[in-house]
Amino acid sequence: MKILIVEDDADLREITTRSLEKERYVVSQAPDYKTALRKIEDYDYDCILLDIMLPDGSGLDLLEELHTLGKRTNVIILSAKDSLEDKVKGLDLGADDYLPKPYHLAELHARLKSLFRRNQREGEKKVSYGNVEIIPDHFKVAVGGKELELNRKEYDILLYFMLRSGRLVNKATLAESVWGDHIDQVDNFDFIYAQIKNLRKHLKEAGATVELKAVYGIGYKLVEE
Amino acid sequence: MKLLHLVIWRMSTILVVILTCWAVLFYLAIMEEVNDEVDDSLSDYAESLIIRSLSGEQMPDTSNGSNNQYFLYEVTPEYAASYPNISYRDEMVYITEKGETEPARILMTIFRKEDGGYMELVVYTPTIEKYDLQRAVLGLIVFLYVLLFLMILAVNAWVFHRNMRPLYTLLKWLEDYRLGTKEKALDESLRIVEFRKLNEAANMFSERSEKLYEQQKLFIGNASHEMQTPLAICRNRLEMLMEDETLTEKQLSELMKTHRTLENLTRLNKSLLLLCKIENRQFTDVKSLCLNELLLQYLDDYKEVYAYRHVQVEVHVEECFRLEMSESLATVLLTNLLKNAFVHVTEGGVISLSFTASSFRISNTGDASLDKNRIFERFYKEGKAEGSTGLGLALVDSICKAYHLTLSYTFEDGQHIFSIVS
Repeated sequence: MKILIVEDDADLREITTRSLEKERYVVSQAPDYKTALRKIEDYDYDCILLDIMLPDGSGLDLLEELHTLGKRTNVIILSAKDSLEDKVKGLDLGADDYLPKPYHLAELHARLKSLFRRNQREGEKKVSYGNVEIIPDHFKVAVGGKELELNRKEYDILLYFMLRSGRLVNKATLAESVWGDHIDQVDNFDFIYAQIKNLRKHLKEAGATVELKAVYGIGYKLVEE
Repeated sequence: MKLLHLVIWRMSTILVVILTCWAVLFYLAIMEEVNDEVDDSLSDYAESLIIRSLSGEQMPDTSNGSNNQYFLYEVTPEYAASYPNISYRDEMVYITEKGETEPARILMTIFRKEDGGYMELVVYTPTIEKYDLQRAVLGLIVFLYVLLFLMILAVNAWVFHRNMRPLYTLLKWLEDYRLGTKEKALDESLRIVEFRKLNEAANMFSERSEKLYEQQKLFIGNASHEMQTPLAICRNRLEMLMEDETLTEKQLSELMKTHRTLENLTRLNKSLLLLCKIENRQFTDVKSLCLNELLLQYLDDYKEVYAYRHVQVEVHVEECFRLEMSESLATVLLTNLLKNAFVHVTEGGVISLSFTASSFRISNTGDASLDKNRIFERFYKEGKAEGSTGLGLALVDSICKAYHLTLSYTFEDGQHIFSIVS
């Protein structure tokens, strides 16, 4: 998978690149509009992470350029201006997703994963890890081909971990992502533990080869046994 | 006390004294004149009588049909010497014609006949008419005095009102003035120098504070905006570092603590940005919302998250509390109040929520009243508030202000009560 990062902030570009490379993506970088334009003219990418505000142009123009070139590339817009206008305009111009800056790398990975999943052929639109499969379009979970019934929260948690398999997810982040932004500043994570405990039980009973591993009371990690 | 009242009060105090003196003096002067006239006519009459008497003509009747009367008799030279030549006085006199005693003005004069004997002539005229006259004059003076007094006051009030109009416009303007609302500037083309200068000064001050306010707002907005990316980078770097399998538990937990602090900082920054946006009126996606429905969507999450506190939650919905507002702001408003209640409720206490068609009330059991005046201030924290941004209630306050809702806090019967009234 080849990804182009168009981003003027060197620090952010570097850390995103490193993180993506860790996930085995091939990453190319462009700090400004001109470089980015040259790169999209010369090469094909599976996905472009596009910043809107560039020092010498607008990412939206680049999006139009891409359209004129007739390239069918996935685009995720990264915009510091989390204004609705930019988002609508970008999505109108054919962007696939929109991620307000500053973004969380784990979030970026999840978006990329679900973007590539959507591009899979019909019937294969699933997230799988070990012998666990999730078909998000139908909210279905299967372990070893057998369907597993989960409640809403358990399902959300499992999907969240499946999209971030092998990564450490800390409790606070999990709470905000699954329960919502309004659940912050919590100092007692018993409610997460209760859900995780149930989820683990379900997975174990179904004979899943993946496991939610607690990491030093910091958070959890979905690992394959 | 209003300025107008003060002016009128002072004016009338001074006028009462001055006008009273004036009226008294005027009355005395008029009376003097009247007496003078009466005395003149008496002396004329006396003179004609003396001439008649000296020339030996027939004297008229003592009362000649007019109310004037006279007496003429001889006196001794000693008597004549002991009395002045001519004297006037007021006295009660019996008037033969009317057969009654009435006040009269009397002239007494002594003259010498040709044969050397002395005659005393007493002429008098009843003063009833004079009294009538006096009464009329007094009445008129009092009437005119009161009229003049009232008119002066009225004219003054009118003039005052007319001339001070710019002052009242200015006062009204100052009263209505709210920083950051872009009030219309005051009229600077007034004819009166003082008022023009006042208006100019007021305009200048408002412009300056407006500018400062804008700058400050802009600064907070820009600062928190610019901080977003570095914060996110730090956070992401830490997270990448934490994924390193070779870290020891101790190192990881240190990193975790740093991460948590950073998260708090990010949240604080997010809240500040949100505050700026609310104050800049950047939420325009207004729609009709039923607040109780919205709140119930979040209530279960909070109940789940704060289950360890064993809080009892009571909900009373009388009617749907409907408001026209941005859904995301309504959510911020409700979740912040809910969070506040859940965080500060006493262990095992009660949170009660009630809605009417025009109000929302949330209360939770607590220990002591909070500082009413400061509770909605930014960064006001009471006691244990680890991880709290201190902006939650400031956000609530600022949202209520943006939608002209009345937000209040009271402490009653061991309960913190927040209520919102539309």
